[in-house]
Amino acid sequence: MAGGRAGGGGGGGGGGSAPGPPLPAAPPRAELKCKMKFGIYLPPKAETGKCPVLYWLSGLTCTEQNFITKAAFQQAAAEHGLIVVAPDTSPRGCNIEGEDESWDFGTGAGFYVDATEDPWKTNYRMYSYIKDELPKLINANFPTDPERMSIFGHSMGGHGALILALKNPGKYKSVSAFAPICNPIQCQWGKKALGGYLGPDASKWEAYDATQLVKSYSGSRLDILIDQGKDDQFLSAGQLLPDNFIAACTEQKIPVVFRLQQGYDHSYFFIASFINDHIKHHAKYLNA
Amino acid sequence: MLPHGTGEQRAAGLRFIISKASLRIPMSSRSGSTRDCETNSQSQHHSSSPPVLEASDTETEGLIFYHMDLYGSKERFDIFPEELSGRGDRSLGDTRRESAVSSEKVQCPQEAGYDLEKEVAELAKMYGLDEDGEKELELLGGHLEKVESRWPPARTGKAGLQDSIYNISKSSSLVKDPSQSTKQQGLPDEASQGENQSKARADDEAESSIWSRGGLSSGGMSDEWNSQAVSEEEEEEEEEEEAADVFCSTCKIPIRAFDKLFGEHKDHEVAQLPNAVENEKEEIHKNMCKLEEQIAQMENVASHLEEIFITVEENFGRQEQNFEVHYNDAVQVLAQKYEEQLEALGEEKRQKLEALYEQLVSCGKHLDTCKELTDETQELFLENDKAEFMKAAVTMVDRLEEFLKKEVDLELSTLPDFEERVIDVSEVEQLMNSINAIPAPCAPVINPQAPNAATGTSLRVSWGLFSDDTVECYQLCYQPVSNESHSDGQAAPSPPTIKNKKIRSCENAALVCWESRDINPVDSYTVELSKLTDEENDDIITESIVGIPNCEVLIHLQPTQKYHICVRAQNLGGSSERSEPVLIHTTGTCFYLNEDTAHPLLAILDDGFTISCDELENPECDLPVYDNSFTRCIAILGSLIPFPGKHYWEVEVEEDTEYRIGVAFENTPRHGYLGANNSSWCMRHIITPSRHKYEFLHSGMTPDIRITIPPRRIGILLDYENCRLAFFNADIAQHLHTFNSHFQHYVHPCFALETPDESPQETPEKSLNRLSPPKVDSRA
Repeated sequence: MAGGRAGGGGGGGGGGSAPGPPLPAAPPRAELKCKMKFGIYLPPKAETGKCPVLYWLSGLTCTEQNFITKAAFQQAAAEHGLIVVAPDTSPRGCNIEGEDESWDFGTGAGFYVDATEDPWKTNYRMYSYIKDELPKLINANFPTDPERMSIFGHSMGGHGALILALKNPGKYKSVSAFAPICNPIQCQWGKKALGGYLGPDASKWEAYDATQLVKSYSGSRLDILIDQGKDDQFLSAGQLLPDNFIAACTEQKIPVVFRLQQGYDHSYFFIASFINDHIKHHAKYLNA
Repeated sequence: MLPHGTGEQRAAGLRFIISKASLRIPMSSRSGSTRDCETNSQSQHHSSSPPVLEASDTETEGLIFYHMDLYGSKERFDIFPEELSGRGDRSLGDTRRESAVSSEKVQCPQEAGYDLEKEVAELAKMYGLDEDGEKELELLGGHLEKVESRWPPARTGKAGLQDSIYNISKSSSLVKDPSQSTKQQGLPDEASQGENQSKARADDEAESSIWSRGGLSSGGMSDEWNSQAVSEEEEEEEEEEEAADVFCSTCKIPIRAFDKLFGEHKDHEVAQLPNAVENEKEEIHKNMCKLEEQIAQMENVASHLEEIFITVEENFGRQEQNFEVHYNDAVQVLAQKYEEQLEALGEEKRQKLEALYEQLVSCGKHLDTCKELTDETQELFLENDKAEFMKAAVTMVDRLEEFLKKEVDLELSTLPDFEERVIDVSEVEQLMNSINAIPAPCAPVINPQAPNAATGTSLRVSWGLFSDDTVECYQLCYQPVSNESHSDGQAAPSPPTIKNKKIRSCENAALVCWESRDINPVDSYTVELSKLTDEENDDIITESIVGIPNCEVLIHLQPTQKYHICVRAQNLGGSSERSEPVLIHTTGTCFYLNEDTAHPLLAILDDGFTISCDELENPECDLPVYDNSFTRCIAILGSLIPFPGKHYWEVEVEEDTEYRIGVAFENTPRHGYLGANNSSWCMRHIITPSRHKYEFLHSGMTPDIRITIPPRRIGILLDYENCRLAFFNADIAQHLHTFNSHFQHYVHPCFALETPDESPQETPEKSLNRLSPPKVDSRA
């Protein structure tokens, strides 16, 4: 039943979707000054009408490929008539010294921030790319309803989804996350990345910290769904810190349903297991 | 069928090409089918030969085509030989020039070169009368030699320069050889292949000129060739296609790009050959699909025909039986009539005979008397004594007079013929007529009146026919039965009272029950519904359900409407007044709390929808405990309408109340906790020192879920069809959790309060069950 096309390369064994031809490599992006790839899934409904867009932000080390090949979201997306866009996680091939040195910084670890530090500040502007440029491109080229978009992600992408939703009230109809990095200013990954991109002044980091953002959030009502594997190694390593986020949300009366899933780790198997719930969660608001 | 049409067109197009191609084939056709086969194999080899060769070959062929079209055009002929090399070409050219002079001359070398001795003999015979016969043969020999020179030199040497018929035959066999060897080898060596082809070309050329002229001179022969060449033509066709790289859409033939640029196809529309092939394949595929469709259709028709077959057998069998019965009847009736008629006839005969006999007897008697009298009179005449005579005579005369006075009945009392009888066949006629008629059907059976089958002005009557009689129409008879006339003094009942608090409803149905405190017997009840609209005429009864035997009815309703429902009781004395109407909203689910199930400490407040936990000063042991009540968990069950589909209700809770709410089977263990077993599903709220904790319990298991906003109003969506039970924070339309469970029986809402030993709580829970589900519950 799930037809439609998944673009952006290989793509989509799940959900019976037919992978379409890879989209041509996009021209150099204004924000990032390099070619950026993205994966896009068009549901059958998109052949006849405009569909809402659901943006997926991937985690550390991922490319635009991981989600479209492993998450098995296509059937649910087809059912609910959602276009799903999965961008890359960072600029690539910018020849910045040290960009490929570690897996949790530089290439594949854009952290969805606009870097302010040299040498990153020219290219590493993933926040603005996801917020403005990519939607503009998608809306210009695909049968989308620009008024209806939502965002979700995994790990670093979960962090990205949360901050994008919290920093732009009303822009996204809904937000959800798998094992998000909830409080990056408190964890090793976050400290490294935010320090690298934004400089040593930790107060600047708070603008990209979901837990901090919640504390000052006063926008339209959000309904946040978070799934977290209970046996996630990064949870026990203190990289994700969902408790801090939940505590902040509880205090601020931000509705969150946080589900700790026993026996699940940080992998795409975990994502694939609960992707349908997330698609439904977004469809509820996108198709309302 | 359009696709077929196009297919045919295409075939025609092909045929067109073929007919062109056939022009250059006939070189061997006259010698018979054996040669045909060889040529065939040659063509096949051509088509499998290397592309380089192919190209030159096709080029030639292309040219052949054109000059075919322009037969007689010498210029074209001249182009041709230039492409070949060596003496052979020149000689061919010579031949051609000669052919231009005389068709016979051309024909000779051609046939001599490639046909059997027989052919040569034939030729000789054919042209034997010709003056230039010898010359012809000479020329022929020279030509042959030159043709051979295109074969490997050794062979040429062998062939020599002799100009005799023998030689011709030899060389012709030589010509034959390569093609045979090629055939055997499978993969031809390029040289011989090339030779083969140039030979073929030479053939073609020569033949074509013959053809063009032959066509003029001897049409019959050309026809023969044509038919023989058909199989070859297709081969040639293939060959052509392979060599061509562009498809001319106008002519429907593959051509070379070169032709597009300079040839006849210059102004034609062309497509790349692969594309054209794709298009054609697509076309063919379409046709295949059509064929498949047709197959499916035919299969359908076939199965339909089978059905009809069976039906025909059945019908005719039935009709046979029918005929048998009827004709037997008719025959019986006729036999009876016959018997009757015979009997009547016999009776008449007997009567007539009797009458005649009687008459005969009386006649005899009369005769006897006459004779007697005559005798006596004669005796008297013999009497001599006058006195005696006179005495006797007087007596005699008297007797005679008396006798003669008697009339003699001489008329026939009976006619010999029999009475006219009318043979009455009307009955038989009737029987005969009835044979073709369908037998009268059995009486239908009227179904008992179903609830909901009548309104104030209409009544639904249904009936069934138990035999397979054919029925044209039904005739419905009815007559009103007066209420008053049969009252027997019985009074109409008083109106029943609907139990307001026991009304249960959901989006699609309502369960209404009532009581009748009438002393008069009640036969049945009628429920009247009126759908409330925004318009004024609210009181119009939109539906009546009649003939309800007991005090409860499940009414199917439309969702999100309002209904007034009232009940009347009925007996022979008539119908009661309407009960007080009740209002039913088909929005959300409405149920009531089943007090029988309530734990002794659980109190239901006056509104019927709020429960609280009584303060337990001292553990009194003599609390009233009903058989059906919860004993351990301070719980109560609701009574939900037993109706499949969706149900939604909401429960208001206080933030600091610990509770369990959900659904449970009616028989869920009363001594256990809700959610701890597999017959109940519930959401549990407990307060820990650090936070509100929410569990979603079934069989004692819960997922680990944290909710940041404690819900105050919990929406519960029970969906039997989709096997789910979902919980929402109704205030913010937030989905909390969904149980996926296939409910084997109807479930009921359940509510429980925790920790009775803690401080007393007032109005902890209130179930609101007349609210619509949140519109955003689709996610569950």
